[in-house]
Amino acid sequence: MKPGRVIGQSLPRRDARLKATGEARYTADVSLPFLLHAAVLRSPHPHARITRLDVGPALALPGVKAVVTSADTSGVKWGVFRYTRDQEFLARDVVRYIGEEIAGVAAETEELAREAVARIEVEYELLPAVFDPLSALAPGAPRLHEHSDGNVNIHVPIHVGDVVSALAACDYVHTERTESEEESYFMTEPYAVVAHCDRQGTVEVWMPNASPHTKAKGLANALELPVSKVHVRHVTVGGAFGGRSDLFPGEYIAALLSRKARRPVKLVYTREENSIAVRQGHSMVVQSTFGFRRDGTLVAADITAHMDGGAYSSTGPIATSVPFLCFEQTYRVPHVRYNGYRVYTNKPIRGMIRTHGRAWACNVDMQLDLAAAALGLNPIEIRAKNALRGGEHTPTQSFIPAMASHETIQAVAKASGFREKWGKLPPWRGIGVGCVSVMSGFPMGIRGGSAALVKFDEDGGATVISGVVDNGQGNEGVVLQIAAEALGLPVDQIQLTASDTEVTPIDQGAYSQATTLVSGNAVRLACEDARRQLLELAAEAMEASVEDLDIADGRIFVRGSPSRAMPVARALRTGLLKGKAVLGQGSFGPNVDQTREWITNPRGQLAAAFSYGSAVVEVAVDPETGQVEVQDVWVAHDCGRAINPKEVEGQMEAGVAMGGHGGILLEACRWYQGANLNTGFLDYKVPLAPDMPPIHCTIVESEDPVGPFGAKEGGLSISMCTAQAYTNAIANAIGGFIREFPYTPDRILAAIDNRKTGGS
Amino acid sequence: MNRPPKIPVELRVNGADHELWVAPERTLLEVLREDLGLTGAKEGCGVGACGTCTVLLAGRPVRSCLTLASEAQGAEILTIEGLAETWPNRAEGELHPVQEAFVAHHGIQCGFCSPGMILTATALLDETPRPTEAAVRHGLSGQVCRCTGYTKIVASVLAAAERLGEGQP
Repeated sequence: MKPGRVIGQSLPRRDARLKATGEARYTADVSLPFLLHAAVLRSPHPHARITRLDVGPALALPGVKAVVTSADTSGVKWGVFRYTRDQEFLARDVVRYIGEEIAGVAAETEELAREAVARIEVEYELLPAVFDPLSALAPGAPRLHEHSDGNVNIHVPIHVGDVVSALAACDYVHTERTESEEESYFMTEPYAVVAHCDRQGTVEVWMPNASPHTKAKGLANALELPVSKVHVRHVTVGGAFGGRSDLFPGEYIAALLSRKARRPVKLVYTREENSIAVRQGHSMVVQSTFGFRRDGTLVAADITAHMDGGAYSSTGPIATSVPFLCFEQTYRVPHVRYNGYRVYTNKPIRGMIRTHGRAWACNVDMQLDLAAAALGLNPIEIRAKNALRGGEHTPTQSFIPAMASHETIQAVAKASGFREKWGKLPPWRGIGVGCVSVMSGFPMGIRGGSAALVKFDEDGGATVISGVVDNGQGNEGVVLQIAAEALGLPVDQIQLTASDTEVTPIDQGAYSQATTLVSGNAVRLACEDARRQLLELAAEAMEASVEDLDIADGRIFVRGSPSRAMPVARALRTGLLKGKAVLGQGSFGPNVDQTREWITNPRGQLAAAFSYGSAVVEVAVDPETGQVEVQDVWVAHDCGRAINPKEVEGQMEAGVAMGGHGGILLEACRWYQGANLNTGFLDYKVPLAPDMPPIHCTIVESEDPVGPFGAKEGGLSISMCTAQAYTNAIANAIGGFIREFPYTPDRILAAIDNRKTGGS
Repeated sequence: MNRPPKIPVELRVNGADHELWVAPERTLLEVLREDLGLTGAKEGCGVGACGTCTVLLAGRPVRSCLTLASEAQGAEILTIEGLAETWPNRAEGELHPVQEAFVAHHGIQCGFCSPGMILTATALLDETPRPTEAAVRHGLSGQVCRCTGYTKIVASVLAAAERLGEGQP
């Protein structure tokens, strides 16, 4: 089918009117009759043994209805993978980070719940603690978990080709070491949950989440219920960015309290709790050695990363792998070795966030600039030479069916005038480029696919039923436009029932950039199935053959003679008279290698589609203050066919803000002995409107062979490559790279001083 | 727990009068959300840093999380739920031009900042009907958006200014 009726139109989002009027309902806005309010007792120590825990004084407070501790739980540890089950949602004997959950209280008011939490008596025996990955690996370091070898939580070992021999044969070899602090998500909506365990044994849950079906399964396991009895409801979500994916203690505690009190329970985190007790980005130390031939061809790369995982595994195997996987699909590298270590420390739990580590993405991309300088190439040339293209394989054996890498590089080079400006800018001005490829989804076993249904009302309106979840990136609009295109109906005749796990079939969620490709294809297939059924009904009524019929604007007509037509509603009624209702179904699983495993078998087809993004950034650095003024940002993105171009642009601009501007110039968690010192907007700086530079977006459209109507991942690529371009532009302006992220004014001034005094 | 007695507070919100008895320490945000069911104003931080709780008090944007309910007595309070009604002669289902501009120009992603952002923009355009882009950015500098990168928010506000200025000298 040729796209074009609805695909490619920048329609306003369906939910925008709800959000513009305050009508959209977020979790903290949900209210139920007989509602209780909850609060959580958290560890004030980074590492301690609980020697006494007495909840009696809390229970004695009038209005307190339930208290839960580890005594109320089965003791089964939770983990995303079978081999990462290391976390109890209510600490049993030992607490491992400041903020870890010890007890939950449900009371008539939130204030009372907090008062009750303050009355719980706990005694601790303090244990030695460790706060960074390298110290945690040192001999004699405090151990966090008995099961772990030292404090290594995850080790991802990948070696393709022969790195040692290949490096020895290279003309240019260089080693870089970079470090970065943690980023924090700072979704504007703090985490909240409403849970209701009713007397028929079902549980309803509302919470901001990026994967309702994954949450439902995890919660069902933790509560020892069948998944069919855990209903994660649709609710508006105020941002995720990777930090709303796996199961959290909050939803478990709220459900447990509700089960005990036999009333619905609402738990709303403070901003501080959202910062420390949901997820943070990984801080890390990355060392890379790159080898090139004299002509600028990348031959070998040897990369070791030590990532601070915090106290528990979370999505550790994925988070440790993804930065490498993005790299290996960005540049051709025949010999490559990666050792990714995720290490336990006494800090909050780390998850996946946008750039997947500045020290990682920017390290490998600055290697390209350093090589270009040494070999007499410009940064565009060396990237164009080494960028992987569609039709090639990655080192770990993913085939890339289509990827317009070169087109994005050339688009930003041209739009920015990079070649004309390179080497010719005035002092303290700089320009830099960055490139990255991002996968649309990755193997997630039985939870890696999506299914969808579409039903019709007698008046011709359709309802799509899909597990798709929208965290603000516009996923609901994406599947609505796909459905409208596939059905031949106007978008406003289509309703969407999304993400409610009671009624929607399985979906992988929105945390591996898979929604457009996987959920979108499931919706497309369901709509094509329904369309076929509709055409069969019409063919019979119109005495035409199905192959000659088409649907547009809610009418079924004979191709070539549009006067022979009948409204969709009439075809539906014809069917209903015969007891035939139109009910479309579709399911889609990406063609990935299900034997691929993050640690034990990191090879085979990773994803069905791969996107590419390139960015150029131009900056002026003030050598007196270390302030960076970003003058312009140009970004180009191959996202396949853009289903809604303005929405894709919105994702690209978003990526510039979070990955580039915030990630490189502003954002970092600060610490004292495991205590996160900047948990609020006042002291953790996220970009504000006056901070942001002009952003020039180019959507490099291509036709992905697998994606629905040619579409694939849109947006994340830009977050990562913009971070790299910021880094490279600042290095160009000050004449040297800075190896610690973010690039705060003090670090920039120190780098300038270093250069003046001839330091490295 | 010893508590000071509740106090009577009369609030005029979106043109409607409410007589309430509230604890003296309760904020306007709490009373709007919990007592009046107006959940359009959000609590993003509770310390006045993010701007998601912004409402208009006598036409000026205030952080309702830092404003005591009793302080708002006697002033006209406008929340996002009441904004569309302030626009005269609107067609059935039409919103205020600032709201319409945010919808049409893709100024909304997750939407959690949108109520505060839209009200702040409305007050800004009331004071400065033809702002420059820099003035819009400055005017919105107290409102955090984590999703959009602000480009389309600024475009929405400039488009609203155009629309509001139609027919004006």
